[in-house]
Amino acid sequence: MPTRRRFLATLGAGVATASLARMLPAQQAMQGMNTGTANVPMDEARYRPVRLPSRGTGPSMNQAQRDALEHKIHCQCGCNLDVFTCRTTDFSCQVSPPMHHDVMALVEGGYSGQEIIDAFVNVYGERVLMEPEKRGFNLAGWFMPFVALGGGTALVIALLRRWRHPAPAAEPDSVAQLPVSATTDELKRLDQLVRRDDE
Amino acid sequence: MILIGELSLWVALLMAAWGTTAGFAGAYTQRTELIASARRALFAMCAFVVLASIGLWTALLTSDFSFRFVASYTSANLPSVYKFTAFWAGQEGSLLFWALILSIYATIAVYTGRKTNRELMPWVVPTLSAIALFFILVLCFGANPYARLDWIPPDGRGLNPQLQNPGMAAHPPNLYLGYIATAIPFAFAVAALITRRLDAEWLSSVRRWVLLSWFFNTVSIVLGMWWAYVELGWGGYWAWDPVENASFLPWLINTAFLHSIMVQEKRGMLRKWNVTLVVSAFLLSIFGTFITRSGVISSVHAFSQSAVGYWFLGFLIIAIAATAYLVSTRLSDLRARAELESMVSREATFLFNNLLLCGIAFSILWGTLFPILSEAVRGTKITVGPPFFNQVNIPLGLGLLALTGIGPLIAWRRASVRNLRRQFTGPVVCGVLVGVALLAFGMRAYYSVMSYALGGFVLATILQEFQKGASARHRMYGESYPMALFRLVARNRRRYGGYIVHIGVVVLFAAFAGLAFKKEFDVTLRAGQQFSAVDGFGDHWTFVSQGVSDYDELNRHTTAVLLEARRNGKFVGMIKSEKRQYIDSQGNPTFEPATEVGILDKPHEDVYTVLAGVIGEDTAEMRITFNPLVWWVWYGGMIMALGGLIVMWPQAERRRAQAGYMAPLAPGLVDAGAEAAT
Repeated sequence: MPTRRRFLATLGAGVATASLARMLPAQQAMQGMNTGTANVPMDEARYRPVRLPSRGTGPSMNQAQRDALEHKIHCQCGCNLDVFTCRTTDFSCQVSPPMHHDVMALVEGGYSGQEIIDAFVNVYGERVLMEPEKRGFNLAGWFMPFVALGGGTALVIALLRRWRHPAPAAEPDSVAQLPVSATTDELKRLDQLVRRDDE
Repeated sequence: MILIGELSLWVALLMAAWGTTAGFAGAYTQRTELIASARRALFAMCAFVVLASIGLWTALLTSDFSFRFVASYTSANLPSVYKFTAFWAGQEGSLLFWALILSIYATIAVYTGRKTNRELMPWVVPTLSAIALFFILVLCFGANPYARLDWIPPDGRGLNPQLQNPGMAAHPPNLYLGYIATAIPFAFAVAALITRRLDAEWLSSVRRWVLLSWFFNTVSIVLGMWWAYVELGWGGYWAWDPVENASFLPWLINTAFLHSIMVQEKRGMLRKWNVTLVVSAFLLSIFGTFITRSGVISSVHAFSQSAVGYWFLGFLIIAIAATAYLVSTRLSDLRARAELESMVSREATFLFNNLLLCGIAFSILWGTLFPILSEAVRGTKITVGPPFFNQVNIPLGLGLLALTGIGPLIAWRRASVRNLRRQFTGPVVCGVLVGVALLAFGMRAYYSVMSYALGGFVLATILQEFQKGASARHRMYGESYPMALFRLVARNRRRYGGYIVHIGVVVLFAAFAGLAFKKEFDVTLRAGQQFSAVDGFGDHWTFVSQGVSDYDELNRHTTAVLLEARRNGKFVGMIKSEKRQYIDSQGNPTFEPATEVGILDKPHEDVYTVLAGVIGEDTAEMRITFNPLVWWVWYGGMIMALGGLIVMWPQAERRRAQAGYMAPLAPGLVDAGAEAAT
């Protein structure tokens, strides 16, 4: 009959195997890529135009707001930086400058920050955001740390309460587990003798 | 020497294999000759790994480009110091460096513990040999630093310019020293689990190693932050990059252990938990190595991707399975024996401290792996960047900062209301005053206000502890206050060294809170043109471009822009930022151009300039950033490291005896003893 421990062990092994299987193609794909200054895979073809027709209403925000918006958009050159930081750091990057020009054109075209973000997500997918959107499966990403912390807090409080009010002392394991080489009859007689002594 | 080194690697493999096999067989069958043989094999393995390392260093320093590793990471014109540090610049060399430190650590641990840990050592030796065997196997069959090229190139590819920096010369060795030190406590934990000798004795053997790991990890993280700040040019020191996160995880777990071990020592509690922490720190170190080398997650710090990642994944799975089995089958031996007298006690506070440290570790691990999970579940790639980690971890970090102050003030076992009032009144008033003052001065970055208020509270608690201790010595021994303070720390290194670490934590939090007032500007300046801006402190700055210049240096072609900086109309200095194109000895460009930032550093603020590009001949595209309180990140780190050193510093037995009380012996006893001796 399967025990809980065996079930957990099997589950763990299954998850590990599945993870390994999923990682294999990812790693093989990385091996073929060129690497840039810091061994980051550089792929200039990752740039894709994000264009919308101008509304003709003038710029929707000032430069500081536009820079703040670029901090929310992930450069697609392979680095882990946002568009603003990458274009103002790495002058060899061929991806962040055109992404910056797209942001400028959309700002000039009168689009709001959210509309520009949405336009980028439509073209590149969610990976273009520096943080996952707070909806759907991503909520698990956002809230799991707090759920785990809440669970941990509950566990710690439960442990403290248990230790604070300990259960009545059980018989020591060492006594209960001592090997006894006696028959049931002999044990009964011993028990009666002990009781008689107590009386 | 190179040939000897190459052969030594294979002999080391044999030694590690014998040490593992004979060690486990000897420990299991209790055959002393096998146990002794395994111990000698471990020492021999160390000697051969040292020889293998000397061989590789010789190849690097003599520019022997017949070796793929040497040709890949050095060039003939590379300065000698960077030829030396190129040892850990690439996959193969860094793995040999892992094996080198591991074998030296293992030798020290086994040699120094041969008399004190007789029951555990037979299992510690093969466990350490098995870990070393894994690394040497990877070296011999997965990433051999002695692999040769079919032809000898005239020059090597050179070292990545970003690694040609003192920070990067020192950061990896410290990181490895920290990472690998977790292997020793792990081996002791495995030995204690196997032998079921899970009392506090094995913990005392590993505490010093955990401290060592914590110390080097702290130094390496701060050095890594400094390197990222001065070299990468993105304007900050911590980007929540997967590899940065991986280096932070063992540090968090070790910190948790260094607190929870006190609970076990004082009260006999948390035995399961402490074993779990020791094991987790090692597994997370291996996980960090796996992340860096597998290519599973892209990172600016990653080595070029190779199949070595699979080796680490396999090792990680085996290590997790083996330790999970050992812990789960020894739960009854790990049962706590003590009871909690009060919920308001230091042991309860330490539990919450552990909860927050592990909570932060979990959130970082979760955020790092969530992109993989998202892709596996939804098939959608996402990015989990700094905004996620900051939003999740800032509240947890502030909670931890508060506990840093609360913990030391609460008594062990039970704290009375009177005791709490006496201990907390001053620090709480101090914290509230700091918070109110900042709000009154118009600070509206609420996380920063909380950070400074809590920092004031924690600092007051620490100063109160020092003041009470020094006053007590002054009264009891008539020592002057500076002497009393010195002796207080010297004779209670563990406690007061810990407080010094806490001061470093407060300084770091104060520096991190300053980031809320960071300001950055994207500017284009022709020669003679000026740019004006106001920083977070309200100072008016003017920067005048002195033009763009091009020149050749040692092994690079440099483009530089010089800015004259004035604060409130007063000249404060010149700031130069550069782009460097490195070249090999034939004059051919190597790598992409590298950034050299310009920094005008002051205790309250750094002015940080990056040359992003040049238009025409004299127009520079630049980013100018005002980074408040960055200086304090480095000094906070140094204070933490100093505190760690004080805690680690061995307390001489002789001095300890002198520090205690001495009862005079009866004259007759002394005479009798003297007679017996003669």
